[in-house]
Amino acid sequence: MLIITVLGIILVVLGLWGMLTQKNIIKIIIGFSIMDTGTHLLIVSIGYIKDRTAPIMDKAVGNASQVIDPVPSALVLTAIVIGLAVTALMLTYAIKLFEIRKSLDINDFKELKW
Amino acid sequence: MVNPIYIFIIALGVGFLLSLFEKAGKILTMTVFYSALAIMTFISGQWLIALIRGTEIMTLTTAGFPPPFSINLRMGLEEAFFTFFINSLGILAGIFLAPKFRSEKVYGMVLYLMMFMGMNGLVMTRDMFNLFVFMEITSVATVSLIAIDRNLKSVSAGFKYVIASGLASTFFLLGTIFLYRFTGLLNIEMMAEALNYASGQAVFLSVFILLISIIIELKPFPANGWALDVYEAADCGVVSVIAAGVSAAMLYVFIKISALLNQNLMITAAGIGTVTFLFSNLLALKQDNARRLLGYSSIGQIGLIYSAFSFFRLAGFTPGDQTVLLVVGGLFVNHFFAKAGLFWLAGIVKKDKSDEWAGLRSSPLLLFAFAVFILALAGLPPFPGFFAKWQLVMVLSAKGMFPAIGFILLGSFLEAIYLFRWLGKVLKTDPFEPIKIKPWEAFPVAVYLLAIILTGGFLSGIINQGSSLSVLYLPVLFVIVLFMLDFLPVLVKNSLVIVVFSYYTFRIMPQLSGYRIMFGIIFLLGGILLFIPGYIKKGRRLGFYPLAVMMYVGLAGLLLSENTLQFFTSWELMTLGSYFLIIRGKKSEPHALSYMLFSMGGAFVMLLGFGVLYHVNGHLLELATLARIPDMTGIIYSLLTLGFLTKMASIGLHIWLPGAHGEAETDVSPMVSAILLKAGMFGMVVLMSAIPAVKIGFIDIPYVLGWLGAITIFLGNLLAIYQEDAKRLLAYSSVGNLGYVLFGLALMSHLGWLTSITYALNHFLFKAMLFLAIGGVVYRVGTKNMYEMGGLIKNMPISFISVLIGIIALSGVPPLSGFAGKWLTYNAILQKGWYLQGAVVIIGGLIAFLYCFRLIYAVFLGQIKDRNRQVKEAPLALLIPQVILMIAIMVFSVLPGAVLRPVGKFLENIFPAGGLNWQAGTAFTEYGYWNGYWIMMVTGGMFMMVLIWLLFIDRKAQKVKQFNIVYAAERPFRPETTHVGYNFFAHYRKALGSLSRPYVTKFWDTLTDITHSSADFIRKLYNGNGQTYIFHILLFVVVVYFISFGG
Amino acid sequence: MDFKPIQILYALWSFSIILNIGLVLQGIVRKIGARVGRRYGIRFYQPYIDIVKNYSLRSSITHGVMFYLGPVFRLTGGMGVYFFTPIIYGSVYFGNFSFAGDIVLVLYFIFFGSLGMALGAGEGGHPYSAIGVGRGLAQVTAAEIPLVMAIIGVAMHYESLSVTEIVAAQQGGIMNWTLMTNPLITILGLIAFLGAMMRSPFDVVLAPQEIPIGPPTEYHSSFLGVMQTNRSVFPMAKTVLFVNIFFGGATNWAAMILKIFLLYMWPVVVGVVFPRFRVDQSIRWWYKYALPLGVVAILVTQYF
Repeated sequence: MLIITVLGIILVVLGLWGMLTQKNIIKIIIGFSIMDTGTHLLIVSIGYIKDRTAPIMDKAVGNASQVIDPVPSALVLTAIVIGLAVTALMLTYAIKLFEIRKSLDINDFKELKW
Repeated sequence: MVNPIYIFIIALGVGFLLSLFEKAGKILTMTVFYSALAIMTFISGQWLIALIRGTEIMTLTTAGFPPPFSINLRMGLEEAFFTFFINSLGILAGIFLAPKFRSEKVYGMVLYLMMFMGMNGLVMTRDMFNLFVFMEITSVATVSLIAIDRNLKSVSAGFKYVIASGLASTFFLLGTIFLYRFTGLLNIEMMAEALNYASGQAVFLSVFILLISIIIELKPFPANGWALDVYEAADCGVVSVIAAGVSAAMLYVFIKISALLNQNLMITAAGIGTVTFLFSNLLALKQDNARRLLGYSSIGQIGLIYSAFSFFRLAGFTPGDQTVLLVVGGLFVNHFFAKAGLFWLAGIVKKDKSDEWAGLRSSPLLLFAFAVFILALAGLPPFPGFFAKWQLVMVLSAKGMFPAIGFILLGSFLEAIYLFRWLGKVLKTDPFEPIKIKPWEAFPVAVYLLAIILTGGFLSGIINQGSSLSVLYLPVLFVIVLFMLDFLPVLVKNSLVIVVFSYYTFRIMPQLSGYRIMFGIIFLLGGILLFIPGYIKKGRRLGFYPLAVMMYVGLAGLLLSENTLQFFTSWELMTLGSYFLIIRGKKSEPHALSYMLFSMGGAFVMLLGFGVLYHVNGHLLELATLARIPDMTGIIYSLLTLGFLTKMASIGLHIWLPGAHGEAETDVSPMVSAILLKAGMFGMVVLMSAIPAVKIGFIDIPYVLGWLGAITIFLGNLLAIYQEDAKRLLAYSSVGNLGYVLFGLALMSHLGWLTSITYALNHFLFKAMLFLAIGGVVYRVGTKNMYEMGGLIKNMPISFISVLIGIIALSGVPPLSGFAGKWLTYNAILQKGWYLQGAVVIIGGLIAFLYCFRLIYAVFLGQIKDRNRQVKEAPLALLIPQVILMIAIMVFSVLPGAVLRPVGKFLENIFPAGGLNWQAGTAFTEYGYWNGYWIMMVTGGMFMMVLIWLLFIDRKAQKVKQFNIVYAAERPFRPETTHVGYNFFAHYRKALGSLSRPYVTKFWDTLTDITHSSADFIRKLYNGNGQTYIFHILLFVVVVYFISFGG
Repeated sequence: MDFKPIQILYALWSFSIILNIGLVLQGIVRKIGARVGRRYGIRFYQPYIDIVKNYSLRSSITHGVMFYLGPVFRLTGGMGVYFFTPIIYGSVYFGNFSFAGDIVLVLYFIFFGSLGMALGAGEGGHPYSAIGVGRGLAQVTAAEIPLVMAIIGVAMHYESLSVTEIVAAQQGGIMNWTLMTNPLITILGLIAFLGAMMRSPFDVVLAPQEIPIGPPTEYHSSFLGVMQTNRSVFPMAKTVLFVNIFFGGATNWAAMILKIFLLYMWPVVVGVVFPRFRVDQSIRWWYKYALPLGVVAILVTQYF
């Protein structure tokens, strides 16, 4: 499961890198989304316990000791939903910005400063 | 009791149902909407009251499991407090936003409800992940509302905001999940218990990430450009919610998670808060956009609040400690009301530039509100911020955290600069466009105005427990009454003030003892006397009486104060009142500002001094403990002295005085000059009578003060001779005269103090008289330039006589009372052995002749100008006090013993030896002797003799016309060129060369320039690019990590 | 120090003595000045003639009350300086009214007349009056630097501000005079004396009078008489003061008159030798030379 942790970290860093280097607002939002996904992977990886299965209580799983920690999994679901909402909101903003100025370059929105 | 869960149920339920109601019409929808907000407020308010009365804290859990198996919400005192404030803001900001909600689709209201639901959740939940959820709900709703106007500015600001808060919540999520990894818990309290920093660096890192995410939400310097943009661009109603409400919720989140922090991280938080407070206020200096200015101020205030909290935790206070509640709560309430109110005002005024806000003057209510909010932010009494800041400084002092106090006070001072600059502009800019006031916009402002005043009173009640500040309460009540009666004409108000003030004086005077009696005479009796000229004003003179009385209340409070808090409160009340008096003059705005800044600076230094005192004397407030300071005497002494000297306008700290006194109104100049300056002296007397000798290293401080006083006399008088403006001349002369007072006190001997007190009394008498007389002339002639006057002796004989007596008393020529001061000076310096300083003092005093002559000559003698021929004698209201003062000077001149003997008797308590030895009317020292009565008699006798002789031989002298002089073989019909008035002492300037240059002004100007240009340089950081702001945030995280890890 | 009415008569008597000394000295000095300038000069009793003439003139004008009072202030000031100084050591009656105050009183009373005169001239409305007063005051404040320091020095030296006590300490021969016991202070005092006597090189103040208009023209006839009276008394009063504090005072009139005569010659000699300073030059001179000397004198008195 280490690989997922590492992957998560890589995604977070990659996302941040994208947010910092891309000038296009859409790409920045994508960067954010990648970072978000990386975070989710990290959460999942933290809840994982070796040799256990998904925390779905059915006949195949006899008792709680056979499943991984269910809390991170539950959290990640919520986090994904929220991430979705935030991303949607960002995209809405991107549309609005484009409507007003016909540009998606983040350098074009510097009226407010100092 | 309604279960607090209903707050969420109502917000959510109504939120979703609103779309349905929309079909039934806007009115119903809005009714439901406001009812929902009202019910939320009611629930939290009800809990607040109940919890204060001692109801048990309620803990809500989901699905009936106790934590850690469920999410739990808490409704304790703090939660009730925060939710009540937030929900009340919900209603008021909702009312303010009513037109917006009316015109927009229903989603605006839905989002608004969600936003408040989120904030309530942030406050109440005790679960880490739940916090994340509420944080996101709040931020999504907020961000959506930011763009409610859909214009470019608000949309681009909103985008920056959503990116930044997205980053912050990602960090929060990461921190939370790692903490879960280490503790297996999500409940904050349990997590705090389970947390073990010793288990490795990773724990530290996770808490760090968590902390930093919250701090980013609290907008730390410099990672806060995105927030500033929102403050500037979004709708004012929405911004008020962000600045006050969301910040409040996040602040409480910070307080909650602070349980997790270790010492290092607590220091980090405190440091970031302090730096944010300092730099926000610095950068705000260059800001001319009102809302961005408020943004900077908000960020700074929030920084102050969480740094204060962190400092308290570091100092070992538990979060629930009463002191913590008082300070953090006080600062918070202050910021909350003031900032919400100011953003609403921004919405009402609808002007971007902060110096275009003068339109507020068209509504007394809004103007009053604006002033109160500004003063509250600046931390002046009687508003909550003052008491909170006082307590903060005292607590930090007790723990010896002086660098922190230094930063906080410096930040507060920078804040005062832009706040008062703004206030001044609003009060004085002309002409202004009246603003249109809509009731739904003014109502919320009025509510918070009332709230901030009431909480101020409430806090002062708590903080003054046990000590009797009640002496101040009644007068302050009178101030409030005067505000309410402000619609009455001057005639009524003036009489009312004189009557009430006289009664108050009559009550107060018997309570005074020792030197306080003398100051009582100057402050109170003098005060009554100087209200008489007020009758010359017509109309209503809005705002004058309450604030003038406030100044006197402060002065009276000084006299009665027994502990440092009372003293400081009175001091600030006095400063506040006098600021508003000074700024009434036509061109007073810049001068009132510089007065205020010097006063605030002085007051902060003094506050630090009181803090150090509190630190060393075993945490006592009593002023009497000054007399038994075990340690750091030199520092306390110097700090307090510096504070007092700003009010006494000693050289170096004097540059505010000429403008402030010179440009003030006719009856204000004598008040601030003759009376107010003595407040600084009073402070010095209190200090010096308690601490007789003090040294820092081998430097004897009174010795330094002696030289300072001597130089002040010399330069003050020298600068006075170059003034063209009669009132400025008098103002500079006050600088010089207060130099005598300082010099006398610094002598630290019986005679020295007697000199000082004699000067103080004389200065009160003649300066009040001179300012009244010259004020009368200015009132009639309409100019203050002396070279435009001349020859007024025939038109204004009584004013002439009073100026004549005034200058004789001032210059110390026998037989009038001023000579007493000179004679005492000689004896005192000989006794002390300060010969060289003494020489400077006396030579400096002689320069006074120059301006004295110039004053009386250029105004009353010489050639009258054509346009002044019809000038009449000054109004009776100005003459009556002058005549009274004249009589007083005469009595003091003939019978100096009547005054000096009792003063000497009192001084024997402090300096038993070396006083005057009286034999009948003659005063003896070991050096010389002097008899005021005989001097007057001999002089009068000679004068009468010569006069009778001249009258006898020259009885037929003919009166001739103005131009009947021998002048270049003809009569000069041009008084303008014949009256030698302009640049009268040019030769003196030439002779003294560089001594006459305004180095001090230059020094302060340069300092101001450096501060402003560095602010301008630093704020270029915020280049407006959203991406740069992301970079700021990341950089901030990295840098802070290394600092806190290293530290 | 009780006051007896008889003292008034003595005071008047001593006043008439000093007035005559002043008038005679004035004549003699002008004669000396003329002779140094190779002119014949006036007769030494000319001042008497002038003063009598001026008092007898009956045509006079006034510009107002303050104008009228100007000379009154002036003469009162001059008389006051004289009356507040004890003249003859050991004599109760020629102690004048010195019981009312010490040397500080005398020092400040000097300004009484100047101020009143300045105001009177000011009401005359003549621009030269204002110019003259402006110069005069400016120079006086500078010239007072050594005077103040000399007085402080003397008071340090004798630990007293009372002229009587200062004179008492100097009794018993020339070696006890301040001149001998503290020469530095005496030099300072003598320099101050130059400034106080309004003679060249410090007489630019009087220049507006030489341009034959300004105060003397406006103040003619009996006004001028009063001023002339003052001009005879005032310098004498100052000289008496200096004699008292630096040169041992006097126990009888003869000694006093001799000392007055000799001391008075000092500014006269300097005056005929040195040309006049402009006012800014003279202010600078006082600050540049007299001030450091004063500091040295005071430090020496304090520490040696």
